[in-house]
Amino acid sequence: MSAGRGDIKLDGLVKRYGEVVAVNGIDLDVPGGEFFTMLGPSGCGKTTTLRLIAGFERPDEGGILLDGVDMSRTPPHRRNVNTVFQSYALFPHRTVEDNVGFGLRYQKVSKAEHARRVGEAMELVRLSGLGHRKPGQLSGGQQQRVALARALVLEPPVLLLDEPLGALDARLRLDLQVELKRIQETLEVTFIYVTHDQDEALTMSDRVAVMRDGNIEQCGPPQELYEEPSTAFVANFLGASNLVPVQAVANGAGGAQLTLGSFTLQAAESSADLRGDALAMIRPERVRLEPHGTTGENRMPGMVEEVVYLGFHQDVRVRLATGALIRVDVPNDGDAIEYEQGNAVAVHLPPRYLRVLAADEPPAAIEQAAVPAEAS
Amino acid sequence: MTDTTALERGIGAAPTRARRRRFQWRDPWGHPRGLALVTWIYILWSIVPVLLAIRFAFNSGRSRSAAQGWSLRWFWKDPNLSVFHDPTLSSALQQSLTLAFFAMLIATPLGVALALGLQRWRGPGSGTANVLTLLPLVTPELVFAVGLFLLFTTAFKVLGLGTTAQVIGHVTFSMSFVVVIVRGRLATIGGDLEEAAADLGAPPWDVVRRILVPLLLPAIAASLLIVFALSIDDFVVSQYLASGADTTTVPMRIYAQARAAPTPALNALATIMLTVTLLALGLAYLVFRLMTRGEGGGSAIGQLAGIEAGIDAGGSK
Repeated sequence: MSAGRGDIKLDGLVKRYGEVVAVNGIDLDVPGGEFFTMLGPSGCGKTTTLRLIAGFERPDEGGILLDGVDMSRTPPHRRNVNTVFQSYALFPHRTVEDNVGFGLRYQKVSKAEHARRVGEAMELVRLSGLGHRKPGQLSGGQQQRVALARALVLEPPVLLLDEPLGALDARLRLDLQVELKRIQETLEVTFIYVTHDQDEALTMSDRVAVMRDGNIEQCGPPQELYEEPSTAFVANFLGASNLVPVQAVANGAGGAQLTLGSFTLQAAESSADLRGDALAMIRPERVRLEPHGTTGENRMPGMVEEVVYLGFHQDVRVRLATGALIRVDVPNDGDAIEYEQGNAVAVHLPPRYLRVLAADEPPAAIEQAAVPAEAS
Repeated sequence: MTDTTALERGIGAAPTRARRRRFQWRDPWGHPRGLALVTWIYILWSIVPVLLAIRFAFNSGRSRSAAQGWSLRWFWKDPNLSVFHDPTLSSALQQSLTLAFFAMLIATPLGVALALGLQRWRGPGSGTANVLTLLPLVTPELVFAVGLFLLFTTAFKVLGLGTTAQVIGHVTFSMSFVVVIVRGRLATIGGDLEEAAADLGAPPWDVVRRILVPLLLPAIAASLLIVFALSIDDFVVSQYLASGADTTTVPMRIYAQARAAPTPALNALATIMLTVTLLALGLAYLVFRLMTRGEGGGSAIGQLAGIEAGIDAGGSK
């Protein structure tokens, strides 16, 4: 598996089911060896895109290029990509070894080579010694590893993973996240990973594409998506955020000037040239709470409406005088003040953390869309 | 310490009869005696007539209702009236087994293919086809038989009545059962496995051969058995499509002779049929156990339930 192989390029990919457009003209370039994640709520088209790349669906328009060769008309059994299914799709009537070796039959390898590669793949996913069991006799985590070994044994330049950890419990999921990343880095395979879990997307990916309604909303490294979301949808889907409807009065090189009721707010430089209705976005962990009466730039009085104790931090919800609700993460660092309902406070929204986003839709709709569903 | 002893005394103390009864009624963890009783009454009720019929197959006298000792006279010992020696009875048995055999061999592959087709067909017309396939399950058999009779005496006159028509009739109505059984199994298997096999490089024919057929085997075995049972059991279609004495089946013979001069030979004939069916069931059960070993317990049991449901459906037809 040499580096440089496994480039995936999607070129204006469209897939319709009757009236419904599942994938709406996606363009994408994934260089070989990248851990690329498609993140989005159910129905956003991420799984359909993956199935198009695998060949289970036929695109209505557009091309799918693997290392520069269009394979959009190649049937799945002749495509040099392999899939790890959400359901694992292990063959129940075959032993683990037979499952792992299933695809090698079509690669015309010698018997010795077959045995060696199955053994290596089993070792890679730490399943040595379980080869003679049937899939039904394995735990969920072990089945997941078999599914992975079965795909990796073929040494594909690109591995497609459809919510591979979705059926596992939280603890196991964390362990396997680390392991998936280790395997991906060892083998230098291109991973195209579909998930609705933002933590998975943030911890493992080199790049993430947030999808919505068959389109890619924003694509970039996890840090960029988290720190500089370009839309309210991305801000809400990746991590928690406060989105406050504001009026943008000025927007220039020095930053944006916003008004919220009778208050004036300064915000960091914004690429969008916005005037009028806009959303001010700030992450809850970037909001500061200060004693009541503190004045200064970007400080507003408010009243604590609710406090939720979450162990490592407190989630404090503050109602501003203008009526907006602001969520604040107060870290449980040992000297944090314990807030109570009814406390009067000053809310400080540091300008460099405040971003201005287009108010292209009502916040309610965003919130609804951001609720992760079981599957898409 | 005192608490513990009090608790122990409380457990050891025998409750009064009234208290115990109330306790049982309210105790959802207790043994469901009432339900067990109903179950046993039902089993006895349904099995006693069968046992009685079998008992008189071994009667040494001519009576089918009074016990007159034991013998194998009605099976083959009697030189004229036994199943083995009475040409009408043995030919009926032969005809029944022939029909069942061919119906089984034809209806099962066709039904599997139909189930696969219906499973994959998406688009206009697929819903209608789905319903139409299952129509024979609810069509009164008499209507069905009259229709087939008309068909074989007019449009398909070339074929005419007789064994061929009977086989075609049996295949036609039993295919619906095959479709139901196979589609149930297909739904359990799911589409993922086929996609996974293709993804790993298996061309379409290999997907069928290496994945689909092995996983469908329990359903195929169940289908064979059910078609066999349905065909052996059938009276109306066989009767309408019969062309003479040599196409008389066991149910037809039993029905006709029961009004003329019934002897325990009829019981013997019925006993043979029952044995054949039970042997087939036992065989199918063993085959499942072997085929689904290690697949996880649920599957074998589920398939067995499928067979039993099919047998029940066959019995009530």
